[in-house]
Amino acid sequence: MFQENYLNKLKTIPEWLRQFGGLVIVTLIIILSFVALNNIFGEGDDLVKRMKIEEDRIAEERKINELISSLPSGILVTFDGTDHHRLSDDVYEKVCKATKLIPQRAIMGANFLNFRAHEIYTINGNKIDDTFVKWDKEKNKCFAGFTVSGNNVGVDEKIAVTGEALSFLSTGIDTRVYYIKNF
Amino acid sequence: MEFLKKNPKIFQWLFLLIVFFSLCFAIEVPETYKFIRGQAEFVKDPNQSTFVFAGKEVRYYAFDVFWRLPPLLGWLPIWINDSLVFLMNDWMPMEFWNEDTQEFKTRPLLVEITRKISFFMTFLIELIREILIGGLNTVVTFTSWDWISENPWAELPGLPWTIVTAGAVLLSYHLSGKGLALFAGLVLVYISTFGQWKPSMQTLSFILVAAPLSFIFGLGLGIAAFKSKRLEKALYPILLVMQTMPQYAVLVPAMVLFGVGDHAAVIITMVVAIPPMILLTLLGLRAIPPEIIESGKMSGCNNWQLMFKVLIPTARRDILIGVNQVIMVCFSMAVISAFIAAKGLGYNLLLALNRLDIGMALEAGLCISLIAILLDKMSLAWANKQTDYFGNLTYFERNKNTIFFIGAFVIGIILAYVGTFLFKGTFNYLFEIPHNKGISTADFWNKGVDWIFDTFFVYIKAFNTWLIQEVLQPMRALYLRMPAVATIVLVVGAGYLIGGIRSALVVCGLTLFIALSPWWDRALVTTYMATFGVIVSCLIGFTVGTLSFQSKGAAKFMLGVCDIFQTFPSFVYLIPVMMLFGITDTSVLIAVIVYATIPATRYTIEGLRSVPIGLHEAATMSGVNKFQRLTKIEFPLAFPHMMLGLNQTIVFALFMVIIGAFIGTEDLGQYILKALSDKNGAGIGLTLGICVAFIGLIFDNLIRTWVGKRKKHLGIA
Repeated sequence: MFQENYLNKLKTIPEWLRQFGGLVIVTLIIILSFVALNNIFGEGDDLVKRMKIEEDRIAEERKINELISSLPSGILVTFDGTDHHRLSDDVYEKVCKATKLIPQRAIMGANFLNFRAHEIYTINGNKIDDTFVKWDKEKNKCFAGFTVSGNNVGVDEKIAVTGEALSFLSTGIDTRVYYIKNF
Repeated sequence: MEFLKKNPKIFQWLFLLIVFFSLCFAIEVPETYKFIRGQAEFVKDPNQSTFVFAGKEVRYYAFDVFWRLPPLLGWLPIWINDSLVFLMNDWMPMEFWNEDTQEFKTRPLLVEITRKISFFMTFLIELIREILIGGLNTVVTFTSWDWISENPWAELPGLPWTIVTAGAVLLSYHLSGKGLALFAGLVLVYISTFGQWKPSMQTLSFILVAAPLSFIFGLGLGIAAFKSKRLEKALYPILLVMQTMPQYAVLVPAMVLFGVGDHAAVIITMVVAIPPMILLTLLGLRAIPPEIIESGKMSGCNNWQLMFKVLIPTARRDILIGVNQVIMVCFSMAVISAFIAAKGLGYNLLLALNRLDIGMALEAGLCISLIAILLDKMSLAWANKQTDYFGNLTYFERNKNTIFFIGAFVIGIILAYVGTFLFKGTFNYLFEIPHNKGISTADFWNKGVDWIFDTFFVYIKAFNTWLIQEVLQPMRALYLRMPAVATIVLVVGAGYLIGGIRSALVVCGLTLFIALSPWWDRALVTTYMATFGVIVSCLIGFTVGTLSFQSKGAAKFMLGVCDIFQTFPSFVYLIPVMMLFGITDTSVLIAVIVYATIPATRYTIEGLRSVPIGLHEAATMSGVNKFQRLTKIEFPLAFPHMMLGLNQTIVFALFMVIIGAFIGTEDLGQYILKALSDKNGAGIGLTLGICVAFIGLIFDNLIRTWVGKRKKHLGIA
């Protein structure tokens, strides 16, 4: 009885109002569905944290890009006595942190003083496992290096060659380690 | 309140817009959001979120769900791709006899099936190609190269161009009369003298295989769908999607299944050409008056006789219009299939465009357009030609065209033979004019382009810069600024207001598919480009259509122009715009506008023409002037028809935007183009194609529903 009355009342509502009510309901359903989806897929604090990390990374990358583009193209050194551009201590640290690449020239230079590493490097067809450029907080110096591994005269070896990154090459787009002092 | 009661729809639309804009303003753009990270880039990044569905890992950049939905359908392209790889490499391995190595080899069943189909298609194409331009591959298939060297007489050349031309002229004369015959003659002479004979015949051979096969399958499926409601229901969604699916996108899965080349192109052409044939067969059969069916039954026809002796002859015109559609789709695909290495005019056009050799592209494009017009006119003439069942004709009258063709054949052979003496030591121009020995206007056009650039460079650049910076970039930014929730509310709300809950659910489903795919951002860019094109096209089309309608001659002329332009494969439109605007977004948009203006103009004229003449007279008697009649009577009545034009304009614009990826856009089309060159691109290509089709279907659903209601309201349904 109550249901019938209710339906009759609904029928008496003008068509335009019913349609408008329908529109409001459709809109609400969509928005509520999104709220539900946000609860399931929205990653809450974790998402915000990761977004923050992402933002920091983008900001850091932007800063580094600005720094790199402000450096003169060519060889950047950390010591006196050459014609190359000398880096201040502050910029030296920043360049170290911005540098990712160690080109073949620097690797081969370092290998000169490490015969076994040089041999494995040659056997492997000039391939290396990985490279790293790190800022040593204690020594206030930039260290770069690489590892080579392989079988040399029946012996499996993995050698890490590391040393102080004394100079960098600025290409205008990025910076690369130019010389590794491993003696 | 009174105003609201009188105009409830305005109030409802206003409410919807207010909700939409409130959501747009309320939801901030996440700081980490970048268009380039439109979730589609499958790069490994520790900041990405992941989920696993159906064994597939999907990586994506997570944003607030209100802003962008997570790509919950991201597994679909990977799954499609993996399924195809599984089917092609591991599914049902069987032992098959290898003719070449004379031993059994284990191969998956699907590979064997696709190979057999490919072989059959290649054989058919080669057979026709060898008749038209010569070659020995098909003869060798049944014999061997040794047999050919022992029987040099078997090395028959192809047909001389004079014979093919004579054949086309006679056929055109038979179908339509002197006018079409003259046009056919001129077109084929032009093709030959401009050295485009070989690629044209390659394209023609492609169509001569694809079109009849599409016709047979389309007719068969159309009849089956007419007979079985269940099949019709099953086919309906496929037909709907195929109508709005960009032809480009279908190429990708075909490449995986059938490889590249003419055979793959023919197969995929069939996939695209069969749906219109099915639709027109169904339309024709359904339009048959029940009296005819009854009279057939009363005459004692069995089912077979009823179908082939009564129904199909009655629906002949619609079926032949289907043939016309099939031929035009085949031709359009023959050009686009150049992307999967189908030989012919399309391939030459693609090469020329890649080299930015506008002159060569224009020559190939002109050939394509002329052949398209010729095929269109011939097939339409065939559709409109009535068989004279009562004519009392003599043997000569009945067979005069065959007799004339035999005569032309003999004369052609003699001419080609004479040519071997006339052009001794050089090319036999009476047999075939080689590509580089024909007349060429390429230099002229290239110099023309240089002149245009030298003279108008400053203005073109200024226009380009203005359009991109002041119009396109802000519009693109606005579209990308729309949060997912706001867009879905707008689309679904519009669906509800136009067609009720059913329409709302349909558009909601279609929009959700795109929103949950990894390419929502790209879909927004596609929509922005299509919207821009559609707005300008409609402005031009409605104005030109209305102005042309004022004079009968102008309307007829404009419809003729639309007919001609509509036959051009969409790819051809890129040539002149690249010539003028170079490789920019402006070029794509101008091509979109030109291409999409055709339906806008055509439907405006046809809509205005469809207004009953009685109403004109009634209006004139009521003392209205021309302008009042146009705005108060003709426009309101023609508006539903014009909206169907808008629907077509949207589909045309979407197609062109996707093809515009060739010039370099950053929408869904660009990803389809990338998928074409990716060995794992089948899934991506297909899903992207479905996304584009769904964009078209959303508008199609909204417009068609509105038109249906409006027509009912006006009493013209």
